[in-house]
Amino acid sequence: MTEKISLKDLEQGLFKDSIQDGILDIQIGLLLLMFVLPIYLSPALGDFWSSAIFLPFWFLVIFGFRAYRKKVIQPRIGTIKYGTYRKKRLMRLNIIIVIVNVIALILGVYSFFNNSALGGWAPQAMISIILLIGFSLAGYMMDTPRLYLYGVLISTAPVIGEYLYRNHGASHHGFPVTFGSLSVVLVAIGLIILTRLLRKFPLPPAESLL
Amino acid sequence: MSEHNPDQNPLVEIDHIIHAPARLQILMMLYVVESLDYVFLKNQTGLSWGNLATHLGKLEDAGYVNIIKGYQGKKPQSQIRLTSQGRDAFKNYKSTFQQILDDLPD
Repeated sequence: MTEKISLKDLEQGLFKDSIQDGILDIQIGLLLLMFVLPIYLSPALGDFWSSAIFLPFWFLVIFGFRAYRKKVIQPRIGTIKYGTYRKKRLMRLNIIIVIVNVIALILGVYSFFNNSALGGWAPQAMISIILLIGFSLAGYMMDTPRLYLYGVLISTAPVIGEYLYRNHGASHHGFPVTFGSLSVVLVAIGLIILTRLLRKFPLPPAESLL
Repeated sequence: MSEHNPDQNPLVEIDHIIHAPARLQILMMLYVVESLDYVFLKNQTGLSWGNLATHLGKLEDAGYVNIIKGYQGKKPQSQIRLTSQGRDAFKNYKSTFQQILDDLPD
């Protein structure tokens, strides 16, 4: 029994070491900007284009950091191909993310066309629940407890924003304040983790790899 | 005189290729993943490049690991994976060692 636990822990440790480079934190932080920047781009670009411009930005964030990881991080920490257990777990996570996104899209379209039907705090509560479920499942599947905290912080942002909007006059339902500050915090955490990793793992000498 | 028969000593059954701490550590890691490269293994084990190469050489000679030499761009990047023979040997080592420990009196 002890052996099973230790091998499981070892696999978990190897997986964590392969992803703890701060890139995920930076990516989540930058993606949160989609709740902030369209608000300020809207007067110049209109509602549609201020949101649509985020599609290429999203691709840039995902694929740009993927290339950075391959060129800069992997030569320092090495590469790992996960075993069957981890591959299945990540596959399940991808399926769940797709399902959560589809649900979010359906709810978004529904609320867009039935704006009057969803009064009060319903839209904020819906966004919060979707974010909390998504991050909690990701934290569980990726064995990364930090994502639970991110889930709580990000899912409470719409509700806190709405409170600030109603009681303290914050603009745009408080999204620029709450999501903007969270974005800064997550990017800062990611940069700290990344800097520590780059310092801890210098590039190995080329001849040692032969 | 002792009646102890060295041929019945269970420690004789222990695979001494695997039993060295560094090689055991390497095999444990390879057991739970599909493959790793030199850099990842070095960072995880804390071994020097020379030591790592020596231990991997012994494991490769025993047929327990397969070192696939390759390149990522212009940089060499060899992937190391456990062979089916290595996987069986590790499982056998686990059960043999567990048996020895279980048979010890409290």
